[in-house]
Amino acid sequence: MTQVAIVGTGQTVHARRRTDVSQAGLAREAVVEALNDAGLTMDDIDSIVVASGPAMFGSVNQPEKWLVDALGARYKPVVRVTSGGGTGLAGALAAVNQIKGGSARRVLVVAYDKLSEGPLQANISTLYDPFWGREFAVGIMGFSAAYWHARMKRLGHTEEAAAMVSVKNRHNSMLNPKAHVKREVTVEEVLASRPLCWPIKILDVPPISDGACAVILAADADAEAITPTPAWIHGISYVGEADNAPDRSMLQSEPLQIAAMKVYKEAGITNPFRQFDVAELQEPYTCFELSYYEGLGFCPEGGAAELIASGETTMEGSLPVNPSGGCMGANPIGATALIRLAEVAMQVTGKAGAHQVKGAQRGVAQAGGGWANLRGVAVVGAEKR
Amino acid sequence: MTLTDTTEVARSSAENMHYMPAQLTIPYTLTPGQATGIFIAELVNKRLLGSRHGDEIIVPAQDFSGSTGEPASGFVEVAPVGEVQAFTTNAKGTLGLVLIDGTTTPFLHKLVGFEPGSLEIGTRVAAIWSESPTGNSVLDLAGFGPIGEAGTFEPKSDPEGLAEPIEQIDYTMTLDFKHAYGAYYGTLFDGVETGRRIRGSKCSKCRRVLLPPRAVCDSCFAPATEWADVADTGTIQASSVVHIEFLGQRKQPPYVYAEIVLDGASTRLIHIVGDVDAERAKTAAAPGARVRAVWSDQHTGSLGDIEHFELIEE
Amino acid sequence: MVNSAQTVLSPSWPDRQHIDLISEAVVRVLKGTGIRIDDVDFVIDSGSDFLDGRSISNCGFLGAMGAHHKEESRVEEDGLWALTYGANKIAAGSASVGLIIAYSKPSESIVSNFWADMLEPFTQRPIGLDHESAAALYGQRYLARAGLVADDLQAVSRRAYRLAVSNAGVDLDAVPDDEAFWSEEVSSPLRRADFARPVDGAVAILLASPDVADQITARPVWITGMGSAIDQHFIAAREPDSLPAATAAAKSALRMAGTDSAKDYDLVELSGASTVGELMVAEAIGLAEPYSAIELYRNETASLNPSGGALPADVIMATGLVRVHEASSRLAGRTDSGDIGASSALVHGTGGFSMQNHCVVTMEVAS
Repeated sequence: MTQVAIVGTGQTVHARRRTDVSQAGLAREAVVEALNDAGLTMDDIDSIVVASGPAMFGSVNQPEKWLVDALGARYKPVVRVTSGGGTGLAGALAAVNQIKGGSARRVLVVAYDKLSEGPLQANISTLYDPFWGREFAVGIMGFSAAYWHARMKRLGHTEEAAAMVSVKNRHNSMLNPKAHVKREVTVEEVLASRPLCWPIKILDVPPISDGACAVILAADADAEAITPTPAWIHGISYVGEADNAPDRSMLQSEPLQIAAMKVYKEAGITNPFRQFDVAELQEPYTCFELSYYEGLGFCPEGGAAELIASGETTMEGSLPVNPSGGCMGANPIGATALIRLAEVAMQVTGKAGAHQVKGAQRGVAQAGGGWANLRGVAVVGAEKR
Repeated sequence: MTLTDTTEVARSSAENMHYMPAQLTIPYTLTPGQATGIFIAELVNKRLLGSRHGDEIIVPAQDFSGSTGEPASGFVEVAPVGEVQAFTTNAKGTLGLVLIDGTTTPFLHKLVGFEPGSLEIGTRVAAIWSESPTGNSVLDLAGFGPIGEAGTFEPKSDPEGLAEPIEQIDYTMTLDFKHAYGAYYGTLFDGVETGRRIRGSKCSKCRRVLLPPRAVCDSCFAPATEWADVADTGTIQASSVVHIEFLGQRKQPPYVYAEIVLDGASTRLIHIVGDVDAERAKTAAAPGARVRAVWSDQHTGSLGDIEHFELIEE
Repeated sequence: MVNSAQTVLSPSWPDRQHIDLISEAVVRVLKGTGIRIDDVDFVIDSGSDFLDGRSISNCGFLGAMGAHHKEESRVEEDGLWALTYGANKIAAGSASVGLIIAYSKPSESIVSNFWADMLEPFTQRPIGLDHESAAALYGQRYLARAGLVADDLQAVSRRAYRLAVSNAGVDLDAVPDDEAFWSEEVSSPLRRADFARPVDGAVAILLASPDVADQITARPVWITGMGSAIDQHFIAAREPDSLPAATAAAKSALRMAGTDSAKDYDLVELSGASTVGELMVAEAIGLAEPYSAIELYRNETASLNPSGGALPADVIMATGLVRVHEASSRLAGRTDSGDIGASSALVHGTGGFSMQNHCVVTMEVAS
């Protein structure tokens, strides 16, 4: 069976505001770095998948059409896959299918967002049904805080536990040259920080970033010809959940559990906590990292607070989570999911530099978008399966 | 009542009630990038700049050539005169493709000041500069008009004293919509408006009640063919205390954001819990708390007809 | 492809929401196949946030698409690209049954904004460029080069409307008899009749792997070739009177199908955003020599756009996938118009401002 690998990755240095490049120029920076990493040129690329946040965030409808010029992609297949915050992983899944389906051999996935250019919370509220909820929505933050509150009561995801996520990820960001927020915090500082949507406080929240990420994929011999260190994708899936489905408690993310189950089966994962050496999770708010520990099976339901407190998910623990710093270091929403995937690929190929997890061989990337109803999982390893 | 005849249950009280008008007005601060940033900045100086990409000279200057992807290797200053390659006139005016002297790619802009019928392919034109330039718009060049006495010159490579690129341009995008209520929201909101009656639709398979009502169950994809009354009381499924302020906010913070499952429904409704102190709300308006709708004096046929929800003190 | 279905394509569906149109198409496409929603492994859908008036609009429509707890992705491009995604996914061996959905309700928004907001916002958007003036710039140059005048384009538009009247899937009672529609310049030299008419609707295609397909239908329509290519963004820098990206897309699809020419196909369904656009597509994919496609319309070519094509019914994000529905229905003998004896078809779809992006898919049935 064809196996696809990541053969090159690139990221911009993420920033609060890049006033020196346009949206298209920002995307190009990541692409140039990924091509250099793979030792390829644009001529070698058969097909391009653009993934970005919702188009209204950036004022340009179907922005991939504009990006074509900056990417030098004229006459190539270019398509945009969009799926909210998880869109980068959805884009990578599209690329994997293009390769496995025989439509392309080397596919470039580029994801970006230039969030400094629009009003973020107001824009996020445009997700909601104009008849049902938009008038009372608080971006995605009101919603996320509300379900954290519910999980706090039922699963013990305390404010202290979430604060430890913030402390850990912000600490990890210090060693990531691409991260734009570099400031260590303590649990006490997080707990005392200004509430935005309680229980979410400002130090539970990632920055708003401009940034882009690009990943190049190829299969089997193509991948091995491009790089001595392909990062093999052992499994990848992206699952949706109908927002208005009855009995959605959202204490656990069912689409995440479904995606994880599918991917773990493909990848031969039966004990995720033991089998993964590293994890990159998309935690737009700290509370999500706790929820994903459970959804991904790192610990039993209700065990997340204990897991973060144990220190096992720090750089020194047995399963470092978000060595890059995760979203706390940089959160260009449309690019964030692809950054998670790129970071895992960098880890398992030993290219993560100062935030390298020693000897990492296999890792998991997780992504999500929408109102917690679009969820993706990918398992990446140094060994071909 | 069943939903088989969707046209009959449509919101039919008045023609305009089929639609809910909605406008998204979104303010942006957009960064044009180096080349376009310098191009626009130089228009107030009545200088027209192109970018060089191999053999190509493109006006307006670009960071990258769309033909090849090649980055700009430098700027050229070009004479603000050229030749019309194509044009079209509509109710808003005339647009034309102008090949600026010495360049390889035409520049699309407005053509102004031509007598009807006087414009032809090949007509020579010259820049018309705006009389009130803003310093941050391509419209500081108002367009191209009859050439008159304007002279030309060869493109000058690497012009001196270029302006700094504009870093950001304010821009507002306005999008207008008229969202159809359809049969389901139509019936629901008619009931809400006239009788304060809330109805969902019941799935024929799982028997759960969908609110908002839908034609098919979001989970089973089975028809949801029966109406079911839903109470205006319910249980908070999830809640948070809102402190942030943002564009378009409906209520002054702090207040409680709540996802509420009304009695008789199986899905959530997003609303506000009012009249509760922000600190007390953490426990009193927590998941599991019981709430009741407080109806407004307004009859708009929307969720806004519920002023807010209040806690039912046990 | 084992089945396809669409709603009626109408200038306006005032009493129905997006989800109503979508679920109707999905219910219809499953009907009679023996496939239940639970058998569907994945959903790939096409729609537009800008047309729908909400961000990540797929997110709110998952239930109507039957996508609850399934793999789902939104391709924000014409549904023909969603079809190629789905076909790849099945060819990859990752799944056996997939649902491809595309829809639009342009009647709920201002269509000219949808197009103009695709333009980079610094030099093209502020000057008032819209999709009609862009098509007209192509039109002026194309007509001059081909030695035609605007009246000649009625060979394309009148035929399209005539065929659409007899297409039960298009809400059109009669060929418009309004003189202004045919003759008054909207954006010189083009008239209202030269621009595709936006309509509301949804379309769904059911895809299956060969083993499943053979159980469902005696006449599956096999996808034999797929190709897509995009042109550069700046309208001014594109070729003046031809669509090289459409040529590149067709070349890829024909190579994959192992055929030499678009002329080898019994049936061709094209998407033209304008009359001139349709002529340029016909030439680009090799149905006619450059600047001579008008002859295909002057000498009635029965195999070309028998549905009427995109001009009388442009569902914007779904138009290319509607062409697949039209072509595959004919190949499989599912239409009222009967079996026309076609066993192969080529379908073209387009997206982006002034047809920047092109996709070609070829298909056949066992004869």
